[in-house]
Amino acid sequence: MDWAQLYASYKSQVVGGAQLSFSQDFFLKFYQAFVDGDRWKLYLRGVGTTIEVTFFALLLGVLLGVLVAVVRTTHDQQRLGVRSNVGLNILNVIAKIYTTVIRGTPMMVQLLIMGFVIFKNSRDFTMVGALTLGINSGAYVAEIVRSGLMSVDPGQMEAGRSLGLSYSAVMRSVIIPQAFKNILPALGNEFITLFKDTSLITIIGGKELVYAAQAVGAKTYAVMFPYLGTALIYLVLVLLLTWLQTKLERRLRADER
Amino acid sequence: MNGNALISVTDLKKYYKGDKIKALDGVSAEINKGEVVVVIGPSGSGKSTFLRCLNLLEVPTGGQILFNGVDITDPKTNIDLHRQKMGMVFQHFNLFPHMTVLGNMTFAPVKLKLMTKPEAEKQAMELLKRVGLEDRANAFPAQLSGGQKQRIAIVRALCMNPDVMLFDEPTSALDPEMVGEVLDVMRELAHDGMTMVVVTHEMGFAREVGSRVIFMDGGKIVEENTPAEIFDHPQSDRLQSFLAKVL
Repeated sequence: MDWAQLYASYKSQVVGGAQLSFSQDFFLKFYQAFVDGDRWKLYLRGVGTTIEVTFFALLLGVLLGVLVAVVRTTHDQQRLGVRSNVGLNILNVIAKIYTTVIRGTPMMVQLLIMGFVIFKNSRDFTMVGALTLGINSGAYVAEIVRSGLMSVDPGQMEAGRSLGLSYSAVMRSVIIPQAFKNILPALGNEFITLFKDTSLITIIGGKELVYAAQAVGAKTYAVMFPYLGTALIYLVLVLLLTWLQTKLERRLRADER
Repeated sequence: MNGNALISVTDLKKYYKGDKIKALDGVSAEINKGEVVVVIGPSGSGKSTFLRCLNLLEVPTGGQILFNGVDITDPKTNIDLHRQKMGMVFQHFNLFPHMTVLGNMTFAPVKLKLMTKPEAEKQAMELLKRVGLEDRANAFPAQLSGGQKQRIAIVRALCMNPDVMLFDEPTSALDPEMVGEVLDVMRELAHDGMTMVVVTHEMGFAREVGSRVIFMDGGKIVEENTPAEIFDHPQSDRLQSFLAKVL
């Protein structure tokens, strides 16, 4: 007797009013949640979307974050009273408003506004979700990158400038590589948070992992296994990310000693 | 004004917090080619600020600095071009920790396209040999002693073939037994005819190597003369009491 037949026989017993043993009940619910009707494919697709959303949000978040951080740091480091740059001041104000608004409102509300107000005619819920998450993450990444840029000894900038290099050249080749090393732990933490926060896009109809679990739960009237399974999948993937981060950190430190 | 002056400073002022703090209060000086000008004075006298103004790491509040005849305090001047010809050595070395010794030295000339990478590396190796550190070419700064770091910082600046070298208390952050090796390099550099402006507390070096000594206090030049005159026949009370304390 194969698994499918065993599942069918247990199911008919339950319908007939019979009491299953613990292990029989476990098998029935597990099979129902993950195997019956090829439901594992739903989870797999969900995980795929989760990773896809994380990837796009990450890209956008890092891009926005670095941009905002560089604008803010450059603005703060310009010599007071000397050649005050109007364009830079305007950019700085925009950057400040951006971080204030994004960090001052809940992600859930941002998703609802983006999904049902700004992009209410879009059907691509997943991409709207990724966009929102990216914009959200950018504000946090910006603060992390900014702290990193400011953590580098000002003497490094002075040494670079005294050799005749421009501000941007020193920033790119001297300051940012050192800052990156300093902020890697905080950045890794932010990426893990972002990865888990992709679960929120379910509320605007993004079809990621939690969406799959909810769909299965709604169909089978049993939510325990879908949700526990989902939690386990997230946990395993986060462990993987953490491991990768540790490896990268070790590699970057290795060349200095 | 002397026509031979490499750097000519006129009425240089640097104020902080409006004009509450006067770090430099009207300093005029000339630095001629081949001269070793040593700037001494108590802490807070403005000697470091003076030096840092020379390559505009500090932007002066007023006054004028001519370098090779060009007014570098003019906002329209591209300061980066002139900084390429002014080497600077810092108290805390400021080597780039993520680059090797060779990387530190070749970074600027290559990045600014003044030399190809092989050319820059060849020059760097020759300079390293001069300061006896050719075997550390591939080491990272964290693997070097303080004295070695400062010697690397000096040759890093020399890689740009500067017209003048500015030293901002180059031995103040060193262990006593490492001061000598750094001063030796600077002494040799002076003998080779490099124009140098040195802010230091090493009075022995000032007397021996300096061609002129400037004594600063309260953001002003109090006395300026040959080392022998400064140390043996100090004119002002302020210099006399300063020397009594440091010698």
